[in-house]
Amino acid sequence: MTRADIIVVAFTLALLPFLYGTFWNRQGPADTALIIDESGREFSVPLDSGQQLRIDGPLGVSVLEIADGRIRFLDSPCRGKQCIHSGWLDESGEFAACLPNRVSVAVSGGEPLYDSINF
Amino acid sequence: MALVAVLPLLTLSCSETPPPQQHHKTQFMALGTLVTVSLWGVDEDDAAEAVRTVEDELNRIHKTWHAWQPSTLTEINAALAAGKTYSADPPTLALLRKAQDLAHRSGQLFDPAIGKLVALWGFQSDDRPDAPPPARADIERLLANLPDMNDLVISGDSLSSTNRDLKLDLGGFAKGYAVDQAIERLRALGIDNAIVNAGGDLRAIGAHGERPWRIGIRDPQSAGVIATVDTQGDESVFTSGNYERFFTWDGVRYHHIIDPRTGYPATGTVSATVIHRDASTADAAATALLIAGPGKWRRVARDMGVTQVMLIDEDMHVTMTPEMEQRVYFRTETPPQVTVSEP
Repeated sequence: MTRADIIVVAFTLALLPFLYGTFWNRQGPADTALIIDESGREFSVPLDSGQQLRIDGPLGVSVLEIADGRIRFLDSPCRGKQCIHSGWLDESGEFAACLPNRVSVAVSGGEPLYDSINF
Repeated sequence: MALVAVLPLLTLSCSETPPPQQHHKTQFMALGTLVTVSLWGVDEDDAAEAVRTVEDELNRIHKTWHAWQPSTLTEINAALAAGKTYSADPPTLALLRKAQDLAHRSGQLFDPAIGKLVALWGFQSDDRPDAPPPARADIERLLANLPDMNDLVISGDSLSSTNRDLKLDLGGFAKGYAVDQAIERLRALGIDNAIVNAGGDLRAIGAHGERPWRIGIRDPQSAGVIATVDTQGDESVFTSGNYERFFTWDGVRYHHIIDPRTGYPATGTVSATVIHRDASTADAAATALLIAGPGKWRRVARDMGVTQVMLIDEDMHVTMTPEMEQRVYFRTETPPQVTVSEP
């Protein structure tokens, strides 16, 4: 084995964890939330900072909380509160929506574990 | 030698990662829910046209079949309630015939004729009023003369009813029908690899490049995923769950899937998942199987011709058909207790 061979093999081995992580060990954690409001406007928000977002809808204001790399509906003017019951979203591909207030949140990032979620 | 070591990795990276423009995922609100269209192997302009086509089609269906906002369906219901006939166009007749057939095969557990009962429970609204469940006497009054789809008479192009209480509500079926129509539109545009997901229920055709489309099935007790399934060719994955729409009154939870036998929300099964080719059948079957519950689901599955079924009960016990068991991989740290049973 020549010196060049050794260098290339070492480079290849060094690359393995990256390739494994990227292509085989599909990571689920999300890093971005896509929020759609009643008018269809889209907001892309990173999940790496703690903050609260207030999104206007036909019923009032939906409050979204971002903390620890995840997002949830914290407060909602709808009656059923099913958006709040959806809890935290942190895995790529998950989403929650307040249909009465026409606000939806989907989280994504990295390589999603799933192409689509059935529920 | 070094090249031999590097090449497989480069080949791997090429085969596993399509160029970014090959995978398009677009979300929009339609059918009163969030719709996601995933496309693979389509260029950007074609993808944009495809999404527009799907959105237009879903909006058209939503306006036609809305159960409580002015629509073709509310016109039909008004005519039938007045004892009149209604002249329907061929697509409307085809859809109602399909609903009638599925209702018949489900033993009327999938019963789109009970719109009055659904309305009595307050579920014919975007945001149910903060109100108690209906009085037992009111439920029993409707049950005494409860319509089913056999009361809908389709003769030529005219619709009539033998029961004035018949009020159509296609909530357990319209989404499946809409997803089927959306997939047809995509195919007409030459798209062979796609998923149309309407509020969690989906039909997938083709594949994601070299690998199948991978679907996560949501855990009925959390926002996470309980299991995964890879679709094969052309399949719909539909789940009816008692967690989708509900209200709580005096500490009791009431969900939106009403059992036409009792007039109350179905009990015994928390979620019913069906994999089947067409979405309309999968949608109606998932509803009927959730209502049928642990005791009667087998017969309903047989009669509706669905062979891939998964039911989850309140204790998170899973019952699956052998064909479904071959497809589903659980992702929870502790796999649930599973019973495999022929339908």
